[in-house]
Amino acid sequence: MSDGVVATRPKPGVPRPYQFPAFERTRLANGLTLITVQLDGRPLVSANMVLLNGAADEPATEAGATVLAARAMSEGTERFDAIALVEAAERLGASLHAEASWDAMTAGVEVTASRLEPALELLAEMVGRPTFPPREVERLRDERLNDILQARADPRRRADEAFVDAIYTDDSPYHRPAAGTAETVAILSRDHARRSWERGMDPAALTLVVGGDLRGVDVAAIAQGLFGGWEAARGAAQPRPVVARSAQDGRLVRLVHRPGSVQSEIRIGHPGLPRRIPDFHALSVMGAILGGLFNSRLNRNLREDKGYTYGAGAGFDLRRGPGPFAARAAVNTEVTVPAIAEMLRELERMRDEPVTDDELAAARDFLVGVFPLRFETPGPVVGAIAGLVVHDLPDDELARYRPQIEAVTIEDVHRVAREHLHVDRAAVVLVGDADAVAGDLEGAGFGRLEVVHDEVEPAV
Amino acid sequence: MSIPAIRFTDERLPNGLRLVIAEDHLAPVVAVNIWYAVGSKHEVPGKTGFAHLFEHVMFQGSAHVGKAEHIALVQAAGGTMNGTTWLDRTNYYETLPSHELELALWLEADRMGTLLDALSQENLDNQREVVKNEKRWSYDNRPYGTWSEKLQAHLFPPEHPYHHPTIGSMEDLDAASLDDVKAFFRTWYAPNNAVIAIVGDVEPADARRWVRRYFGGIPTNADVPRLGDLSLPPSLGAERREIVPDRVPLPRIYFGFRAPQFGDERLDALEVAAQILAGGKGSRLHRRLVREEQIAQDVALFSLGFVGGASMCAGWATVRPAVSIERVEQAFTEELERMSIEPATDDELVRARALIETDELGALQRVEERADRLAMYSTLFDDPDLINRMLERYLSVTAERMRDVAGSVFRQENRVVLTYVPLIPQADEAALDEKAALADEEVAA
Repeated sequence: MSDGVVATRPKPGVPRPYQFPAFERTRLANGLTLITVQLDGRPLVSANMVLLNGAADEPATEAGATVLAARAMSEGTERFDAIALVEAAERLGASLHAEASWDAMTAGVEVTASRLEPALELLAEMVGRPTFPPREVERLRDERLNDILQARADPRRRADEAFVDAIYTDDSPYHRPAAGTAETVAILSRDHARRSWERGMDPAALTLVVGGDLRGVDVAAIAQGLFGGWEAARGAAQPRPVVARSAQDGRLVRLVHRPGSVQSEIRIGHPGLPRRIPDFHALSVMGAILGGLFNSRLNRNLREDKGYTYGAGAGFDLRRGPGPFAARAAVNTEVTVPAIAEMLRELERMRDEPVTDDELAAARDFLVGVFPLRFETPGPVVGAIAGLVVHDLPDDELARYRPQIEAVTIEDVHRVAREHLHVDRAAVVLVGDADAVAGDLEGAGFGRLEVVHDEVEPAV
Repeated sequence: MSIPAIRFTDERLPNGLRLVIAEDHLAPVVAVNIWYAVGSKHEVPGKTGFAHLFEHVMFQGSAHVGKAEHIALVQAAGGTMNGTTWLDRTNYYETLPSHELELALWLEADRMGTLLDALSQENLDNQREVVKNEKRWSYDNRPYGTWSEKLQAHLFPPEHPYHHPTIGSMEDLDAASLDDVKAFFRTWYAPNNAVIAIVGDVEPADARRWVRRYFGGIPTNADVPRLGDLSLPPSLGAERREIVPDRVPLPRIYFGFRAPQFGDERLDALEVAAQILAGGKGSRLHRRLVREEQIAQDVALFSLGFVGGASMCAGWATVRPAVSIERVEQAFTEELERMSIEPATDDELVRARALIETDELGALQRVEERADRLAMYSTLFDDPDLINRMLERYLSVTAERMRDVAGSVFRQENRVVLTYVPLIPQADEAALDEKAALADEEVAA
């Protein structure tokens, strides 16, 4: 019975042409790079300063100093204390923020174009003249220590932490959380934060990206005035290559016991690849088919077919160094072992069988088709350009994205699956109820089993 | 700074479907958002979680669409999509390259008209398991995960449909049958119980033609039930407190209050007050509890606007180690009360207004958000033009209005306090018993 609806599926119309917006580079007198993107009709401007100093560049004994430095930049500058700075930004309706990842520190502001100049003044103050007041740095340090306690109790975060600990050697920066561990954070001081900030403060290595409707705003003149006089800090340094090595040469199964867990949080994977690889586009297509699309192999199997999970996925975290490859799912405790078996089976299948024409088309059509949607507003446009800067990618990388995705073949996908998915030395890491699952896990023979019991420290 | 008014058209098909269209040709993107006026407040005891389970079933196919094929088609068209269920409503939305609008409309019409053609026990059972895992992942397997369910249960009496959480209970989910699904669909999923908003790079003439072609033949349901009177006294009447032992390392205090209904201007004032109280590092709660006294790890305060009797104003403070829970609770409630004794300063107002303006500009610059709001204001208030008036409403809130609403909402007798405290696991208790036993032996020897 088809009640009042039309049976025939409509065909698409003619796509409206879209290109990633053009952007202009200028170099200020001191070598600082300014990139501007004119986006008509977008009054909310996004500005982002990129410092090529990330958590991967800090000494292992000071792990967490870079994230701490980013958080602390807004806690006091030569002209403003923390409250004065935040109030000055709020009066402009501007959100001023700074964060650090493995690859870089970024500091930015979103504000209407009419208030861009005073907002950039505050950004310059925050990035160029932070004072890292001891009291505030210590408070942020303690907040991170408390956050570490919270992370232990959160099964998702605990699984992520146990996973990277399992797959990377101890001397790999990616072995630990980017914000540091309880041991390393406990000793951090304002000097550590300041040193981390200094590492990135070389104008010749800094890039400011500004995007929005900038008509009538002389961004270059403003930037020259605010940033053009900056000099390199004494502690400025080039980022070093990231060495991150696999700790496993066989299959490890690590179960972190969380009593009474009604789900197991599962991560299966190994160290992956850096961003700058020739196979980036084939890898993106492969990842979408395996665990990116809703009807990916993993999600269709574990969610839509078996109902084991609310969602299963997989992907490569492509950093300056080889970030992790992980397949992930949270499944009800009772199906933990069959779920792991299915996940491993899908990873093997990805290696063993070429994908079908339909699978290739679905991934390609999504990645190509969604491209304009990703860049509707200035924030993501500026973010994407900042990404080119961080990974030293050519300016036309984004313009070439869609044709390069279109060019990926079934053979390409098969090749990258075989070259870059290492199922035989993938670690299987899960947080779950060992009383319920350890026995069956042992029997399943996925690999040598370790059960971890976290020490419980009730807060006093 | 003013935000340009959003121009839109608003009409109804003969079968009652409301259609709102707003053009924006800046980006080659179009958003479709369809609101059905059914949510978890339409559920009865024994059938909680049903509206949300039903939302999942809506993606399992219809007469001309296979299981999960809606999602596959939208993604292959380069689109993003989702659906959400809440207390007052359910929405389904997709954002796509603009040349794929017709596909989105055809898909939404097919499931509005013919969902039952594809309904099967197998698909229902599958999505039931998915939803049960959603419940575990979002609530049951998380530290502090039960907070919202408990706040709702305390703030709304058992006979009020806001008493139970939208996700429902495992028992009720297990009991949901195919007949329940059919009845729910026939009762609520009718064109005259829906609003469809189309925003972005759209030619209105094309949109109208397609909407009429695909939805026009779906029959009206003349018997969509009206809910009874859901009105509630503005105050809870007496404070309710609960201590919740949980696997958490730090205590956390959750606060809940009955608040004016969504649409009431007093809720506007409460939202601006919440911005001043907890909206970032310049806020009163953050400054005092997190920065100056360093007694809280984090703080929050926000409202969830509902139209069925009262809204919920909720907040929390995570207690830092070695700090007394009582001290944090007292400081938090003192700051809420101070809002009515020391009203917002001019500077606090300037800052709050500037941030609200930027937030609004940021939200409305995305077609997906614009479409959701047009559908929301149409469904809840029969007034899509609210999208152009809400910002002005927020900006005209005064310190006096905030003082008044804070004074009536943040009263002890209108308050729920949930205190999550660390649970010592059984293994530790056994270890303590063992130590105690050994100590006894030593003493005896």
